[in-house]
Amino acid sequence: MSEVVLQSREAILAKRKLDASFRTKGILIALLSAVFYGLYTGFLTLGMAKGVWADWYGANTAGLSAFVVTYFLGAVGSAVNDSFSAIWALSLATVRGRIGDFFRCLKTKPGLVMVLAALIGGPLATTAYVVGLQLAGSIVVPISALCPAIGAILGRILFKQELNARMMLGIAICFLASFMIASTSLGGEAPEGQFLGICIAFIAALGWGFEGCVCGYGTSMIDSEIAITIRQTTSALSTLFIFIPIMAVLSGSFDSLGLVVEAFTSSDALPWFVLGGLSAYLTFMFWYRGNGMCGAALGMSCNGTFSFWGPFGCWIILGVFAGIDGWSMPPIAWAAAVLMIVGIFTVAMNPLDLFKQKEEV
Amino acid sequence: MKPLNYAMLKYFTTVEDACVDDVMDALRADYGHFKAFERNSMISAIMTAEANGLLEETRFEMCKDAGLKVYYCAPEEGAATINYYIKD
Repeated sequence: MSEVVLQSREAILAKRKLDASFRTKGILIALLSAVFYGLYTGFLTLGMAKGVWADWYGANTAGLSAFVVTYFLGAVGSAVNDSFSAIWALSLATVRGRIGDFFRCLKTKPGLVMVLAALIGGPLATTAYVVGLQLAGSIVVPISALCPAIGAILGRILFKQELNARMMLGIAICFLASFMIASTSLGGEAPEGQFLGICIAFIAALGWGFEGCVCGYGTSMIDSEIAITIRQTTSALSTLFIFIPIMAVLSGSFDSLGLVVEAFTSSDALPWFVLGGLSAYLTFMFWYRGNGMCGAALGMSCNGTFSFWGPFGCWIILGVFAGIDGWSMPPIAWAAAVLMIVGIFTVAMNPLDLFKQKEEV
Repeated sequence: MKPLNYAMLKYFTTVEDACVDDVMDALRADYGHFKAFERNSMISAIMTAEANGLLEETRFEMCKDAGLKVYYCAPEEGAATINYYIKD
C-alpha cells in the first residue's frame, strides 16, 4: 500500500491541475472535431468533383435524370465516404486493440443505443437535410446550425446536464455566428414547399442534436474509439443496403445502382474519399468524446464552429490546394469566427470567475 | 467477458470508493493484456464517467510513490444507471 505523505496544498494544486487539464483537453478535442469536419467537407467535395463524378455533375454523358443527379448521387457520395470511414475505424480499432470490445459492446444495451443514434444522426438526418435543401433552398443551412442548442436541451432533459441562462446565451451567440456565415449563401427565392423543407430540415437538426447528446453521454460507458467504429459501420451499412436501394426505387429504376459500383472504382476520386473517410472518422470520434468530456452544451457549441471550419476547409483544399475557382472565404465568416469564440467562452465559463481566480491566487 | 469500460464501471458499484490504481489491481488478471489497459486512458474514462454523473469524487490524496490519487464512488443514481445499462 502507498504511504500517504501529504494531504496538503500540494495535493490541492495537483488536483486543480488535473481538473483543468481534463477540461482544457475536452474543449480542444471538441474544437478539433469541427476542424476535422472542415477537412472532411473539403475532401468529400473534392472527391465528388473528380473521375466519374466530374462527368455526372458536369457534361452528364450518361444522361442521368434530374432526380438521380440531385438526390441519388449525394447518397452515393455519402455511402462511399462512410464506407472508407468504417474501414479506417475497424482497422484502427484492430491495431489499437479495441476490436474485441467493439464486438462485445455491439451486443449490449449501450451498444444498441449507439446504433440507434447512429441511424438517426447518420442516414436519417442527412437525408432530411438534403431533402430540406432541395425543397427550401439554402435557408435550411442555419436551421441545421440549431443542433447544438437542441443537443444542450436534450442533454438537460435526458441526462440532467447543466444548462443555465449564461450557457443558453452562449449557444444563442454561436447560432447567430453560424447564421451570419450561412446568410452569404441565402437566395432571395422562396421556392414552393419552402415551409415543408424547413420543417424537414428541423428534423435533421433534431437528429444531429439527439446523436451528439446521446452518443456523447454514451462515451461515459463505451470507449470513444469503439463508439465511433459502431457509428461509422452502422452508417455505411445502412446507407449502402437500406437508403440507396430506397432511393433507387424512388428514381424509378434499379439501373442507378450501377452508379454505386462506378463510384467505388473511380480511381481519380478514390484517394480523396479515403482522406475524407479518415477525416470523418476523426471528426465524429472527437465530437462524441468532446461532448462526453464537456457535456452537450459546451461540447456541441465547440463543435458548432464547423459552420466556420466547413467553408474554411473547402477554401484551403478546393480553392488554395486544388486551384478551383469560387471557393474563397467571405469576410463575414472571419467576423463570425470571432463571435463564435465569444459564444463558446460564454458557454464555458462565467467571466466573473476570472476575477475570482485572481483573488484566490 | 465484459468490455473493459463496463468492467471498470461495474467495479465501482461493488466498492465504497476506489482510485484508478485500485481498479487496475482488481481488473489486471482479466484485462491486463488489453492495449487499452493503460493508466492515463483509464483515468480519462473514469473522469468522463464522473462528468456525466455516473461516478462521484469522494476524496484525493498525494502519495509519495504514486503521485495524486483521486477516489470515486458510484452514487445511488449512478449505480442504478450503470446496473440498468450493464448487466452482469
